[in-house]
Parts: sequence; C-alpha cells; structure tokens
Amino acid sequence: MKLFEYQAKDLFREAGIPVPQGKLVDKPSALDGAVREVGVPCAIKAQVLQGGRGKAGLIQLAYTDAEAREEAAEIFEKTGRGVLVERALGIERELYLSITPEPVSGSALVMASAEGGVEIEEVARTRPEKIVRELVDVSEGLMPFQARDVMFGLGLEGDAAKQGGAMLQALYQLFCRYDAELAEINPLAVTSDGLVAADGKVTIDDGALGRQERFSLSREHFESDVEFDAAREGIPFLHFDGDIGLLCAGAGLTNVIFDLVNYGGGSVNSYVEFGGPNYRKGAKALELMMRTEPRIVLVVTFGTIARADVIAEDLAGAIKDLNPEFPIVVAIRGTGEERVEELLAGVGIESLRDTEVAVGQAIELARAEGARA
Amino acid sequence: MSVIIDAQTRVLVQGITGQEGRFWTGHMIGLGTNVVAGVTPGKEGQEVEGVPVFDTVRRATEEFAADASLLFVPPRFARDAVYEALDAGIRTVVVLCEGIPVHDALRIRKAALSQDAMVIGGNTSGVISTGEAMMGFFPHWIERVYSPGRIGVMTRSGSLTNEVTAQIVEAGFGASTLVGIGGDSVPLTRFAEVLPLFESDPGTDAVVIIGELGGTMEEEAAEAIRGESFTKPLVASLGGRTAPEGIRMGHAGAIVTAGKGTVEGKISALEGAGALVADRPSNVGELLREVV
Repeated sequence: MKLFEYQAKDLFREAGIPVPQGKLVDKPSALDGAVREVGVPCAIKAQVLQGGRGKAGLIQLAYTDAEAREEAAEIFEKTGRGVLVERALGIERELYLSITPEPVSGSALVMASAEGGVEIEEVARTRPEKIVRELVDVSEGLMPFQARDVMFGLGLEGDAAKQGGAMLQALYQLFCRYDAELAEINPLAVTSDGLVAADGKVTIDDGALGRQERFSLSREHFESDVEFDAAREGIPFLHFDGDIGLLCAGAGLTNVIFDLVNYGGGSVNSYVEFGGPNYRKGAKALELMMRTEPRIVLVVTFGTIARADVIAEDLAGAIKDLNPEFPIVVAIRGTGEERVEELLAGVGIESLRDTEVAVGQAIELARAEGARA
Repeated sequence: MSVIIDAQTRVLVQGITGQEGRFWTGHMIGLGTNVVAGVTPGKEGQEVEGVPVFDTVRRATEEFAADASLLFVPPRFARDAVYEALDAGIRTVVVLCEGIPVHDALRIRKAALSQDAMVIGGNTSGVISTGEAMMGFFPHWIERVYSPGRIGVMTRSGSLTNEVTAQIVEAGFGASTLVGIGGDSVPLTRFAEVLPLFESDPGTDAVVIIGELGGTMEEEAAEAIRGESFTKPLVASLGGRTAPEGIRMGHAGAIVTAGKGTVEGKISALEGAGALVADRPSNVGELLREVV
C-alpha cells in the first residue's frame, strides 16, 4: 500500500527526520488558515498517489496568499483531493536516499545519489557510477559505518555527513518498523539549515497490513469504487479499456491469457483473478466484472486447490442469479474437472478443454459483438 | 530419479491437523511419500492418516528422524515455523502459504543461506517428484497433467503449471521433479539455485522454467547457463509479455518497474545464453522435442 506524501512525512517527523513545515488541507475553505500558519512562499502539493506530480502541474509554488488560493483551487478542481501546504525551502542541492528489500541476498538495500530530484532509475541507466549502494544484513541492522560510507560517498562533509547518517538510521528504523517495501526521500534537500526531506515515498508491504494496524486501505487509494470493492474482497482486479473481461483463477495463468488475447488481436477490459484462497469467490468476481461492462467474459482456470467442480458450480449459480447480458466463454479444468461439463450445461454454456481455443473464441465473439454495437 | 524429494525422503508436516494439512497429507501418502510425523502445538498424541502428531518439531524429530519439512501454516507464522524446522536440523523446508510479509521473507532467506538450507516457497504448490513423492498439493492423479518422466520443471505459478505440464505430457514427456518456486517478490529459493540439482540428476534430461514478468530470476538462470553450472537444454515459458509497466499483475512479484523485470529482457537474456523460449504454453512441447 502506497502512503500519501503527508502520511510519509508524518512518519519522517516522528522518526526525527526533518521535513518542511506544512499543513494538510482537505477543503478549500481551510486553505487561508493553513497558508497563514505556514507562511509564503509556500508549495501547494496535490495529495495523490500518481508519480510525476510536478510535470502534471500538481505541485505549484505560491509567493502570495492570493497565488496560493488560486493554485490550490486549480489543484482541488483537478484532483478532488486534499493538498499539502508546505513552507518553501531554500535548496542548495538535491540528494536521493532510499531503502528497499533486496531479494537475492535477503538484505535491505540502501541506495543514495548526489543527483536527487530525478528518478533513481534514470540515474541508474545513464550514470550508474553516481549511485552509492550498501547492503544491510536485516538480522544485524544498519551499522554506523555503513551510514558513514553512504554519506561520505555522497560527498557530504562535517555536520552534514553526521546529520545525514542519523537520518539514514532513522529511515532504516522506519523501514523495519512499518514493514516498508520502499522508504524513499527524494529530493533530500541540502539547505543552509541542514538536510530536509523535501519529498518522500513510503510503501507498506500488503502482506504485512495485518500487523500494521495504523494503516489501512481506503477509497482514496483507488481510482474507482469497483477497484476499492475488489481490494476489500482481496481479489486482484485491474481495469483496462478493451473488450474482454478475464475471469481467471491463478495469476500466472491470467498473465498468459492476457498475452494470448493481445497476441490474437483482442483487447482486455478487465482482469479479475480469483485463484488460490479466493476460488470460492466466483460469484463475487462475476459481480465485479459486470460493473466494468465487458463485451465478452472469458473464464479460464486450471486449478488444484481451486477445484474445477466447485468453480463451475459457483459460476453456474452466479449466472442464474445475476443473469449477465454478455456472452461467457469457459474453460475450467483441474481437480474435479469430470463434473464441469454437466454443471455448465445447466446454464447453457459449452465447456471447453483448451485454453487457446477458448481465447480464440472469446476474441471472435468480441469482434462480432463490437460489429453489432 | 529426481531432486529434492524422493520416496526415501522422511517428511515432517507442520500444521498437519488443519483442514488443508489433513487433506493433502492423505494424498501425499497415497502417492508414496514417506510422511514420518506431524506437528501441531497442543495436539500431541493425535494421529492424521496414521501419522503421529507432536507438539513441537523438536519432540517429533527426537522420535522420528526427518529430512524435510512441509509447512501448512498461515503466512504470519511462517518465519517462526521455518526457524523451528531449521533449529531441529532439517535442511529442506517447503512453505506453501501466500502473503509471507516481505521483511519476514528477507530474514528467512538470510537464515537459510547462512545455514546452507533450502527453504522453498512461499506462494507455491510445493515440490513433487512424479510417481515417487510429494510435499505440497498437486492433482497428481490427473494423468494428463502429472506423468512421470525426465523433464525437470520449475515454476513461479500454480495454475499455469498445470497448463504447461499438460502440454509437456501431451508432447510425450513427463516430469522428473517439479519445483514450485512461487510467486512472491522474495522467493526463498531461486531458479538458479535449483538448476545445479537438475544438472547432476541422471533422471533429468532437460528443464522447463515457467516464469513471468518481474524480478531477476530468469536472468539468473541465463547466467547459470553462461557460467556452465547448467549445461542441459532449457526451455522457458514466460507470462506477462504484454503487461503494462508499473502494474502488479496478480502475484506480488509480477511487476515491471522503471523498465526492469520485463519479459522482453528475460527472453533476450535466456535466448542469448542458448535457452529456448516458448511464445505460448502450447509451444513448450514442440521446443522440448527439438532439444531432447
């Protein structure tokens, strides 16, 4: 789960990492008070999860109260979400600092760069020698010498190096404490008053949300109601703008079906994966699927725990209850597959045995439906 | 012949008294797996499918020596259960559950590496040496999917594995051992670490890798071929070639970020090293026929 910038900065502040003075504003009427408190010049920053906010005009600098009102009104209009009002910083230069899991060695990876404010991937591609890397043994924690290696490696000196080392230690504590998949400060601003985390990203591991009670998914994390509802059911759901709805069990299989549809000249409307522990949620999955209005739905499973007979029975029941208008192409195989044909015949659906035949049929039908529409 | 597990391997089952543990222990024994004992805290003295249950791994292994342990435990208990098995001296552990917290997975992997143990999973169906023994859940009774043979298989997916193994069988082959590496972002054992086992197994003629977008495991397998630690033919089937960047495709580990982890990149690494890459599951059998 990605945190919003203001949430990440709350964590930074609590951990002792300096952040700009700021105030979260969730409605236009509260803006003036926030600007008075923070002072001008100030930055008005949209609280959305998408990257590239600067380029999208979602971060604006305001030199007067009037400008702040104007810029904020525009951002409210664009996003319908709150803004963060922050005191502008006098930045001398920008650094980059992050911690992520390193799966090959089972470590945490600290990455730092003297070229902050841009995406680290860009630096890695064009100037890899500019990146300082340090692997941290997670059972030992980040050693002080490692923090020194990173900070001197960035070219910091004296008090700045010392302060940077302390910030990195704090960031590492936070990374562990909150089960983070990403803890990033970018840019890490060098100012006349020392180092400040000008912007930050923290992503909490979804697998750890059960023990991270402070954060939970909310409607704000999603583009649409249906995505939010799917997440609450624990059903992986993605929405695209094509024709065919994929209702498949197992992510690996779904990813291959996704490819096969695209190879065959079809297009995907949505991706609803109800495999593994979700295999009894076929009815719920079909209901979610109906809300994205696909032309055709393609059901493909080849399960073990996700038993074919159970899936077919649930699907047949859901079709009876929900009475979807779109045609449904079905290939359900795996444990209990010998009963599938009979179960589906009850709702007038032919049971296919071959994945590629099913994909081909779905693409044909989608074309025919498209021509009719 | 096979790798990791065979009919002689003495298997312990942690979490044996739960619904899944019971059900699949029965199927494991049905295939011939040598299940020696089970563990569920507080259930010592019970039996599951004739297998004695103990409170702790230590007590179980005092009575019955075990070579490998299979874990039917929820993800939040995975780390503790793996450590319990390692502490009792077991050096092969299979963890089935999906959703082990990433920070726990990092620690488990570190512990396994430092103790020279092989911990396999999570988010996997386990390991099966077809016709011999199984740790996990595979519908081994469906002959068109699971037939004994001489092809080693490694996979990041469950459902797709059935799809691909059915193609392997249809092409006239079968599996020696199938290893479910799993779909998590921190796999506890990686493709390249299993390849040397298949290399030295006289019962394996070639290996099929069922991979997908995200991570670097396929690239590491290519590296193993280049470095000649693996010299048998290798065929890969990779999902997610047309997946959009930055979107997590179902599995925790299936995501392309900033151009990294693309299937295109994996294909060029594998083909560059001399492996064959199927453009769809139904081509896997054909490619195997070319090389075996």
